[in-house]
Amino acid sequence: MAPPVAVSPLIKFSRYAALFVGIAYGSRKNARLTVSEAEVRKIEEKQKKEREERERIAKELAAANEDTILK
Amino acid sequence: MAALAQRMVTALTTKGPVLAKNAVEFSKPRLQTFWYYAKVEMIPPTPAEIPKITEGFSNLIKAARTGAWMQTTVREGVRNTVVVAEIGFWFFIGEIIGRRSLIGYNV
Repeated sequence: MAPPVAVSPLIKFSRYAALFVGIAYGSRKNARLTVSEAEVRKIEEKQKKEREERERIAKELAAANEDTILK
Repeated sequence: MAALAQRMVTALTTKGPVLAKNAVEFSKPRLQTFWYYAKVEMIPPTPAEIPKITEGFSNLIKAARTGAWMQTTVREGVRNTVVVAEIGFWFFIGEIIGRRSLIGYNV
């Protein structure tokens, strides 16, 4: 087996520095995205409720206005 | 259906330990070689090596300043590119660990 290479300490240091920077970046971005997604979900919930209310009213109006003798 | 389940259970109990033992025996020498190299090449730098880190860094800056980077051979350039790429990959592995999901952000 070939003997292990003496890796330069600069490379070893920058490897682990990149690892920790990546972990910090990933966890921070995850936290930021969950917060913003929760807000977007709240707004969408509210819009969905309003839209369903309007659709229900429109459907009832349409059902009341149609001219059939099969009522 | 019940016979199939029965056969699966007997196969698991008779062949399971044998498979596990074979897997362990297969992986032990390979893990040993991995550890043999990792003990020297992959461990984080000890505080005693900090002066070498700063020296390496100042060497980089000096090479960038004096134009010694124009004298590198193609072979060295490719090797340096691969080293920088590896450092970039460690960043992305760290991001995977930080966001706790393999592919995207689980929001």
